[in-house]
Amino acid sequence: MEQWSNGFKTNTPKLQPSNTPVRTLITRMWEAALTALEKFANPLHLAMLTAGVLAGTVIGILPGLGGIACVALLLPFIYTLDVHTAMILLVGSLAVVHTSDTITSVLIGTPGSAAAAATVLDGHPLARRGQAGRALSAAFLSSLIGGLIGAVFLSLSLPIARPLVLAFGSPELLMLCVLGLSFAGFLTGGEPLKGGLAACLGLLLGSVGAAPSEAVYRYTFDQLYLADGIPLVGVALGVFGIAEIIDLLAKGGKIAERVSLGGGWLQGARDVMRHWGIVVRGSLIGVWAGILPGIGATAGSWMSYGHVVAAARDRESFGKGDIRGVIAPESANNSVEAGDFIPTLLFGVPGGAPAAILLGALLFYGIQPGPRMVQENLDLIFTIIWSFALANTIGAAVCLFLSPALAQLTRVPFVRLAPAIIVTIFFGAFQSSQHFGDLYAMLALGLLGWLMKQLGWPRAPLLVGFVLTKPTEQYLWLSVSRYDLEWLLRPGVILLSLLLLISIAWIFFARRKGKGIGGEEAGTETVTLGRASSVFFTLFVLAVSLAALYEARSFPFLGAIFPIAATVPAILMGAGQLVFELVGPGAKPTPGSGRQVKIAFGYFVSLLLFFVLVWALGFGLAVVLFVFTFLCARAGAGWRYAALYTACVVGLAQVLDRALGLYWPPGALTGW
Amino acid sequence: MKNVCSEIGKLIHRGIASLCLSLAFVTPTYAAAPYYEGKTIEVIIPFPVAGGSDIWIRTIAPYLEKQIPGNPKFTFRNIGGGRGIPGVNEFTAKAKSDGLMVLVTSATNYFPVLLGDKAAKYDFKQWNPLLVNPVGGVMYAAPVAGVRRVEDLAKAKDLIYGGISAIGLDLIPLITFELLELDTKAVLGFKGRGEARIAFERGETNLDYQTTPAYSATVLPLIKEGKAIPLMSFGQLDEKGNIVRDQAVSDLPTVPEVYEKIKGKKPEGRFWETYKVFMPSAFAVQKILWVKGDAPPEVLQAFYSAADRLSKDKDFLTKTDKVLGGYPLLRGDRLEKTIQQAFQIDPETQRFVREWVSKKYRVKFD
Repeated sequence: MEQWSNGFKTNTPKLQPSNTPVRTLITRMWEAALTALEKFANPLHLAMLTAGVLAGTVIGILPGLGGIACVALLLPFIYTLDVHTAMILLVGSLAVVHTSDTITSVLIGTPGSAAAAATVLDGHPLARRGQAGRALSAAFLSSLIGGLIGAVFLSLSLPIARPLVLAFGSPELLMLCVLGLSFAGFLTGGEPLKGGLAACLGLLLGSVGAAPSEAVYRYTFDQLYLADGIPLVGVALGVFGIAEIIDLLAKGGKIAERVSLGGGWLQGARDVMRHWGIVVRGSLIGVWAGILPGIGATAGSWMSYGHVVAAARDRESFGKGDIRGVIAPESANNSVEAGDFIPTLLFGVPGGAPAAILLGALLFYGIQPGPRMVQENLDLIFTIIWSFALANTIGAAVCLFLSPALAQLTRVPFVRLAPAIIVTIFFGAFQSSQHFGDLYAMLALGLLGWLMKQLGWPRAPLLVGFVLTKPTEQYLWLSVSRYDLEWLLRPGVILLSLLLLISIAWIFFARRKGKGIGGEEAGTETVTLGRASSVFFTLFVLAVSLAALYEARSFPFLGAIFPIAATVPAILMGAGQLVFELVGPGAKPTPGSGRQVKIAFGYFVSLLLFFVLVWALGFGLAVVLFVFTFLCARAGAGWRYAALYTACVVGLAQVLDRALGLYWPPGALTGW
Repeated sequence: MKNVCSEIGKLIHRGIASLCLSLAFVTPTYAAAPYYEGKTIEVIIPFPVAGGSDIWIRTIAPYLEKQIPGNPKFTFRNIGGGRGIPGVNEFTAKAKSDGLMVLVTSATNYFPVLLGDKAAKYDFKQWNPLLVNPVGGVMYAAPVAGVRRVEDLAKAKDLIYGGISAIGLDLIPLITFELLELDTKAVLGFKGRGEARIAFERGETNLDYQTTPAYSATVLPLIKEGKAIPLMSFGQLDEKGNIVRDQAVSDLPTVPEVYEKIKGKKPEGRFWETYKVFMPSAFAVQKILWVKGDAPPEVLQAFYSAADRLSKDKDFLTKTDKVLGGYPLLRGDRLEKTIQQAFQIDPETQRFVREWVSKKYRVKFD
């Protein structure tokens, strides 16, 4: 009996330390959450939040400009504020960038940021069917819900986030990347060979630059510019943006030729309610993509898109304007930012550029994020969480309010919109590293994307492959060099492998049952180029792969694994595709397509001329000349209209320049 | 009445006196308006927004605006990528001798020069350092590695170190491993020091280093929980260029001290020579603000005096403590000799390092 009581006596104090901290943490969290919420009763804070949201919304709409541009705009103000107010302003703007970037993705098929490219696939076809309103309202609502779920998840996981993140070692992260890459397979469309080839091209593009594992530069052709790899903004704007603009211009007319019924705002809201499961799953995928280092917003939104395609029973309509294809990536891309706060605040490791900026701002206030944040700055963490949640709400409301007017843009002849859009895209792409290489890369990839679109090649796998190359390679190398082959036996790896196998089996099963995979763009676009061009393009891909393989022989072993993994299958598939094209019936170009191709090339030449003008005369003068001539020569506008339009574009550019402090490249000939 | 008169007389008297006094203060400024009055200084940052060097200059710039006579405005241009080389080249090409364009550099910019990278065509000798900020580095290990004190390192087996790249800052710990002859395997390829620390926390690696600000915020809590053991610092330079203890972690021995403890003699040999060449540019003079060498003396004086005033400014010292890493913001002329020494390497040491990293870490030089 005495022993018992002794046992109890020694036990109770032991229990307490493990129990109380958790309880006090929860009470403290609750208190901190309320204190932080009270801050928003202060009109100054609410005004700051609204200012941040408006800045973020405008910058999100502009293609190519994202979180970094937001900060450039707000930074001068931040240094004069106290830390809470500064965080409210900053988080307010960063939280809504991925809400408003949907607008350009849906309306003109040009991703407002790299992470919004997944929304283009189904959102833009919807707009062309005259259902822009439906697509936008569904997108904003799922963005909003995604953001809120992200905020809730973020608060709930604060006490357990550190062990959770630490549970994922390099091998598990590698398997997640592989899982993401395999989603590229789900997006390959009706012709798996073309899809596979596109994915391999993406991997190859992603291998350009410094290898993560070895100190070797791959495929840089001694260009310093390529040492860091091709910028993601350039790839997204080129393959989707430029390609889409040229295509729209060549086809002529307006974005939406007909106004269809059931395309309204309420329909979009109803769609979100009907597919609430997708919203929840998409948000959770997003949060995880944000929490885990190296995945990021772009990969997160593609994973969410891939998962919804993979899980759907009827896949035929994806890529042709399926509302589920809008809801999934949109619910993910806001929650990614919420998830991203966990490594940023609790480990001091930013997951993406916006988080890096937030980290920098905190350092400015003498707060070094890390394990002590939860103990010492809990109220600040909740200020950030509340700002994020409230900004999402205000941002979605602002976008919903703006969109009916913006949706009208789809009924304006596209050739009149094009000059302004092209100028913005050029400007946005140039900001990523202030190097003319950005524009080169964007134009070259634009041509590639346009060709792929015309020949019925899916472009989504290319982007997914590109985005995931670097993290996959990094984690593969870390897994092998740390664990040799033992990493294959880790429970997490086995679990994720099983998940991978099940998804693949599910796809094959569905295909066997005759439910073909619609995938991206399969059969939606009229093929405008004939068999000869198709054969040439396949030959081109083959030649590039062979050359890349030849080049890879000089790389050290670990730096060569990825190029080989990309090129060998590409060569095999390319050969198969070639045989298939030579023997098979070949796609017949639709009548009148020859003329369209000629027009398209004409527009390519105009873009090239614009590029030369920018290089020679500097951005300012080039914009004036390009916009004015384009309107007069291509859009058949009168000189008065053209002059007014040009003045507006230049004026807006000036305003942006003043606000953002952007850099305008001087001309090689004029020097200004 | 007399009283009033004398009061007025006093007032006039006082008025004249104060007028004279204020004139005495004002006249010098009339004689020579401050060089930077109404001017804008463009800062070239050869790194992306929110990188370490970007935060560093953006944090101190508002204080410089206040302290530099004439209160100039600072604007920033980030030219990221290409190992920092395009940004520095832009400065070389565009900066004039008027002191209106300045450059921030960090270890990333110095190593290509020290390693003889052909793409790095710039020459630090042609510029003048305006401000210098050192940073420190601390190595620590996991207790599972059988290490309790720093002396245990010599016998420790299977040490695994996580790093980014053999030709970046990791070069300093890698040289340290060779110098102390530790049984260490380096796993390179992490995206940043933060990710390497996460790998340490989840047990994938058991040896790591962090810069001093990150160390105090993220590693000290681990040490308190018994999950990490502090080992040594890479040290700092005194004004004569000797390696001395790091003031931010003065309780930790430096690498040469640990060498003496383990080997019982003063450090020597090729790796010691290499350490002495690379450590300063990696840590002791890590962040430097430069101006062209032919800038007028007023420019240098303006920044030096601002640095002097900031070193006594309580508000500045407390607010920027985290960003400056617990080190003073030094005037450029204070460490000028050390700085110029830091970028000099004798051809033999250079050849030795290049051969060693290409052999051991398969680095390919052109």
